Amino acid sequence: MSEIITLGKALNHGLRRTLEQNAKVIIMGEDVGKLGGVFRITDGLQKDFGDDRVIDTPLAEAGIIGTAVGLAIRGYRPVCEIQFDGFVYPAYNQIVAQVAKMFYRSKGHVRLPIVIRIPFGGGIGAVEHHSESPEAYFAHTPGLKVVTCSNPADAYSMIQQAVNSDDPIVFFEPKRRYWEKGEVDLAADLAGAYPLHASRIARAGTDATLLAYGPMVRTALDAAAAAAEDGRNLEVIDLRSLSPVDYDTIYASVRRTGRAIVVHEAPGNIGLGAELAARISEQCFYYLQAPVLRVTGYDIPYPAARVEEEYLPDLDRVLDAVDRSFGW
Amino acid sequence: MSRVKEFTLPDLGEGLTEGEILAWLVKVGDTIELNQLIVEVETAKAAVEIPAKWAGVVTRIFHEAGTTVEVGAPIVAIDTDPSAGPLPSDLPGPVPSAESLAAVEIAPAEGAVEPGLIGGPAPGGRTAVLVGYGPKTTTAKRRPRPGTPAGATTTAPPPTPPRAPVTPPAPAVTARTSGPVLAKPPVRKLARDLGVDLGTITGTGPLGSVTRDDVHQALATVAEAPAVTTAGAAAVFDASREQRITVKGVRKLTAENMVASAFTAPHVTEFLTIDVTRTMKTLEKLKARREFRDVRLSPLLLVAKAVLLAAKRHPMVNSTWSAATNEIVVKEYVNLGIAAATERGLIVPTIKDAGRLTLRELAEALNSLVQVAKSGKTPPSAMTGGTFSITNVGVFGVDSGTPILPPGESAILAFGAIRPMPWVHKGKIKIRQVTTLALSFDHRVIDGELGSKFLRDLGDFLTDPEGALLSWS
Repeated sequence: MSEIITLGKALNHGLRRTLEQNAKVIIMGEDVGKLGGVFRITDGLQKDFGDDRVIDTPLAEAGIIGTAVGLAIRGYRPVCEIQFDGFVYPAYNQIVAQVAKMFYRSKGHVRLPIVIRIPFGGGIGAVEHHSESPEAYFAHTPGLKVVTCSNPADAYSMIQQAVNSDDPIVFFEPKRRYWEKGEVDLAADLAGAYPLHASRIARAGTDATLLAYGPMVRTALDAAAAAAEDGRNLEVIDLRSLSPVDYDTIYASVRRTGRAIVVHEAPGNIGLGAELAARISEQCFYYLQAPVLRVTGYDIPYPAARVEEEYLPDLDRVLDAVDRSFGW
Repeated sequence: MSRVKEFTLPDLGEGLTEGEILAWLVKVGDTIELNQLIVEVETAKAAVEIPAKWAGVVTRIFHEAGTTVEVGAPIVAIDTDPSAGPLPSDLPGPVPSAESLAAVEIAPAEGAVEPGLIGGPAPGGRTAVLVGYGPKTTTAKRRPRPGTPAGATTTAPPPTPPRAPVTPPAPAVTARTSGPVLAKPPVRKLARDLGVDLGTITGTGPLGSVTRDDVHQALATVAEAPAVTTAGAAAVFDASREQRITVKGVRKLTAENMVASAFTAPHVTEFLTIDVTRTMKTLEKLKARREFRDVRLSPLLLVAKAVLLAAKRHPMVNSTWSAATNEIVVKEYVNLGIAAATERGLIVPTIKDAGRLTLRELAEALNSLVQVAKSGKTPPSAMTGGTFSITNVGVFGVDSGTPILPPGESAILAFGAIRPMPWVHKGKIKIRQVTTLALSFDHRVIDGELGSKFLRDLGDFLTDPEGALLSWS
């Protein structure tokens, strides 16, 4: 039952399937019910599963997550939508102080199977607070798992795996890729799905390794296609899981290619790329032909929509970094 | 297909479910153009003017001004092909969307979305969203790039890092005058593996750094070994009590090989005597396992395994000195030669790519190799291409030897007899199973340090195979 659908629709189908399969799954968030979410990810779910399972909440993120903690303790599996990345901060305290710590605090007795869905990243020409990439805040916090999908097929399986996980997962969705289409097998058995916390070689190559996740996977693949015209065969790894990171796949690739370039939208300073660069330098030191390079957003607040194209890493900035790596 | 299409009230991108019609800007019978503003609608947030999706003639207006209409309800009907003559009286049911959407340039394939709807096309090659201009639907294109990056940049100096303590990189031959030796990590590793001191090399790379070529160059200079003259032929001593055996076949080949090897490769042999009691115990354990029940297992199997694992840790041991090309060829594969005594003389058949074999496969290969050799049926192909050899002199009851390298190989291991011997074990003298390993190696390729490390690894493994296996993996 393979279908060509958008990434957003794949999430919708995935959420629908978890609601069908487990009566304890409930969806909460701002405008997720009648409206179906500002990106229509929960479209039609309230109509079909009722307003006691798909719940329109007040505009109060701390309340959404706090409520989810209580529900999770009582056996529910809440899936919370944070409407936009920049809205998550009121809930930050609940997430890092409660969600992340309950398992540890209770000596492993209390697990919180909460999914916090956050559309993240820029590229949709939106206003302030609507285009941020806060993944590093959460990946830095022990007790949280952080994942992000880059294509419809992964979106479909990963959202289900996240809901089925007994641990809290922050699920970042690449909002500007919501309308990208791909083939999804809607009948696929989840047991055979690619593991949630494993990275994937999105394009095999031999000359350098591009590490990307979420919206930047598409950009990295575009760059790899362009580099092929110059006779360079780039490998692209889609991290998928940002915490924990599947380092083995990364090390093996970098040891083969000798060059690594990390690409993310978030500012470079203390970003995920810094951690990746440090670990790669440590584990692949003798294999590196050049330092690990980063192509990231700049160390500024996310800029106004009119100039966001200048801020976002694009194909050309990735290719420039590839040139720099080869020039070393 | 109907030529009359019904225009429904779109979701105005505010996420609202209804809107009030403020004023109609057209009336029935008007000819309208594509995107002409036709109606003004007020939602809870703002008043918006809505453009026509099709050109044509307005045939019907469903709701008068002042009415509140649900999103999705038809508000106006448009005859999209008025030139086709008057409408038939029985109006076929209006069918919107499909073909109208086909006319839209970036038509979403799902067909369900309309222009202006979330997920539908938006101006500037974008997708409409609730907040923002929407993401671009156009494919990314690269900007023109100066020069040809491939090739041209590979020798270019690194870009100047901001606030770098060094002067801007000058290309190529800027000699390093003082300070630490500059070299990329893989070059450092190469130098270390080859036993070359980076400090003795003048770098030719950017900023005077030492390159891979510099290391090879330095090694070639050091290794120019003094020429050795060939030995004189053996004198013929005529006497009736002598037996004369024509030198031919295996003997002749062996002799030629040994001479060639002994006088081109400077041999060094090192010895290590070790307690292999645990290896013998491990062998007993293996024999008891189902996987090995029908294979003959001998200590040689674990010696071979030790060699294969240690060769992975010290790849230089498994290499060839290529005088013709002035190179050292380091091999990733190990073709393991096993010296076998046969009636026709000593031959060294090889197990090809032995590193890939499981322990059981290796055991089988060893057994069949020896059997085939004894029957004299070893094909010539099995005797070539060896990269490392083992000679089991223990089967002759001797303790060790100084084996001569098979040509083309850089190291050979002699494995002596295993005997019960008094041995200091855990501070007390005990009777333990003891053997001596002798490793001969080509001193052009392998330095004393590397050879010793390799031999010590072999010793470690055979002293405690299980521990070594775990700590090496």
